[in-house]
Amino acid sequence: MIYETSTLAVAVFAAFVGAVLALSFWLGARARSAGGYFAAHGQVGWFVNGIAFAGDYLSAASFLGICGMIAFFGYDGFLYSIGYLAGWIVALFVIAEPIKRLGKYTLADALDARFQSRGLKCVAAIATLVISLFYLIPQMVGAGALVKPLLGLPHWAGVAMVGVAVTAIVATAGMVSTTWVQFIKGTLLVIVCAFVVALLLDRGFALPTKPIPAGAVQTIQRTPSGVLVNGAPLAEDNELDTRLRTEHGVGFGSVAALPGGGVATGPLGPVSYLETFAGSSVTTWRKSVDASTGTTTFTPVERQGADLLLPGANPTFKGVRDDRLAAKLDFLSLMLALFLGTASLPHILIRYYTVKDAAAARKSTVVGIGAIGAFYVLTLYLGIGAMTSGALDPTDSNMSAPLLARTFGDGLFAVISAVAFTTVLGTVSGLILAGAGAVAHDLMKDVLRMKLDDRGQVRAAKIASIALGLGAVVLGILFEKMNVTFLVGWAFNIAASANLPSLVMLLFWKRTTKQGIIAAMTVGLVGSLGWILGSADTLEKVFGMTAADAASSAIVPFSQPAIVTVPLGFLTLVVVSLLTERAGGAMSRPPETNTAQA
Amino acid sequence: MSLVPRPRVNRLGLSLFALYCVGYAIFVLAAAFGTFEGGAAKGGLAGEAVAGLSWGVVGGFGLIIGAFVLAVLYALLARDAEGEK
Repeated sequence: MIYETSTLAVAVFAAFVGAVLALSFWLGARARSAGGYFAAHGQVGWFVNGIAFAGDYLSAASFLGICGMIAFFGYDGFLYSIGYLAGWIVALFVIAEPIKRLGKYTLADALDARFQSRGLKCVAAIATLVISLFYLIPQMVGAGALVKPLLGLPHWAGVAMVGVAVTAIVATAGMVSTTWVQFIKGTLLVIVCAFVVALLLDRGFALPTKPIPAGAVQTIQRTPSGVLVNGAPLAEDNELDTRLRTEHGVGFGSVAALPGGGVATGPLGPVSYLETFAGSSVTTWRKSVDASTGTTTFTPVERQGADLLLPGANPTFKGVRDDRLAAKLDFLSLMLALFLGTASLPHILIRYYTVKDAAAARKSTVVGIGAIGAFYVLTLYLGIGAMTSGALDPTDSNMSAPLLARTFGDGLFAVISAVAFTTVLGTVSGLILAGAGAVAHDLMKDVLRMKLDDRGQVRAAKIASIALGLGAVVLGILFEKMNVTFLVGWAFNIAASANLPSLVMLLFWKRTTKQGIIAAMTVGLVGSLGWILGSADTLEKVFGMTAADAASSAIVPFSQPAIVTVPLGFLTLVVVSLLTERAGGAMSRPPETNTAQA
Repeated sequence: MSLVPRPRVNRLGLSLFALYCVGYAIFVLAAAFGTFEGGAAKGGLAGEAVAGLSWGVVGGFGLIIGAFVLAVLYALLARDAEGEK
């Protein structure tokens, strides 16, 4: 599809970034100490921190990716919503308060609170950097993928814009400005999405002016002389959905029949909306590619709404429909990774250091769960709305939510587009700050024992954040053509495997030793990475093998490692701790109280 | 010395956490083993729960909203246990 630059979207986004940068420079004067830079002096209010959790956590993968998956495949995207939110229960009940008491600025601080071990700090810092990297790449690629349809700029421009803006935000005022970026973004995201859902419910469902028959195939062909749509050159008056709109009054994704035989439902409530969808027939579109002619064909397929509310239509979740145990284990492993991964993500955990005490950590997590949960409830409505709005771009699922908003007017499209872009800003800020802390505070100061006073640490962190920001831009450009959405799932698997066993056992088992933690983190990190690299999924998506070759060449039976590597991490920690406790590896110091940051 | 110096609050948290884990496990296992057989929907998340909505939808909303309810409950009980105002 041809997307025109939305001047309003550019203006809204520029206004947001400008306001945040101005705030950053003003706040920068207050963040000269390490306590200010890494942890906002521990003075962030619990409500602000709770909403900032939402702004930190709800990335483009959540907003655009989940809505797009639901719009294209139905229920499966909602499984991500459920798994992502469930992970916050682990954070609240297991991790939040203890980690606030243990640490100071980074995840490594918390893990090393009792041991004062350079080896442990080194491994924890490396794990932070690896996890942050896997999370960062899809965010940057997503920024580039968004900017062309939303702002009319090339991929590299979107990546560079986000990279420069985020680097400026993090390098000037660190956690203080990052908190406010995430707070503003989290607020905007939930409010704007709630508004769109309210409009959706008010509109209800309606049939196209003329039914779409099974033979209404649409084609797009890439030829040496250009792109052909339904046999004619792509142009403003001949886009992929032009013929559909002309002949049937609606584009891709529409209702074919309503329960009771009406043509429109009028306004619906939240329950009746889903009930009506379940009882409807929906015109979905099946994509097939003929590589020999460069032709992609979209064929209308009528499906029952109730079937679209079943799991397993998307390749990631197809295991639930497969009778083989290995396929089901893949699904179970992914749901386990989502459940355990949230509380193990470094850029989420460092937010706990910004509040004043453990009670505030608890309250802010509750607020975060409320905001994030509200958003994930909305995703099902947004996805179904996009599926039936007649405005889908069948070539780009990520555009489903913004295109849904456009059915309500260009103004809302512009606002949603700008909000979509800011989702990247909020998450990338947190990731770069987590990485900068790992480099400056953990590796440089504690592992390499470089003589860095408070201001020296801040200077080092700012330089590290600039380097990480530049690196993020380069990676976002290099990975442009690769399907990177799976990298977020990888990040969850690695985080759950490398960090969670150590965090949990440190808190609940007194015989944990530093050698046990080092071994567990190493095994979790290397094991999960190795499993992923040897899986059929990676061989196909990253190394370009055919599905059949990938399946036969894979060295592991399924693609998601958490169901193996998380227990392996626990087992390694227990075995190594028992073997090393007599060698003096056990906890030797009382827990350090997290003193108030300067 | 325990790393979690408020054991009563922590026991409360772990109890609620265990409750949620059971709910999540039931949901995930129902999806994996109880919903399809031979590729066709047979029950589990495909079954009708209430108001024409499937267990997949009701269960999903239940886990999301239930998480918030448990979180608020924990916050209130922990506040009382710690004697906070």
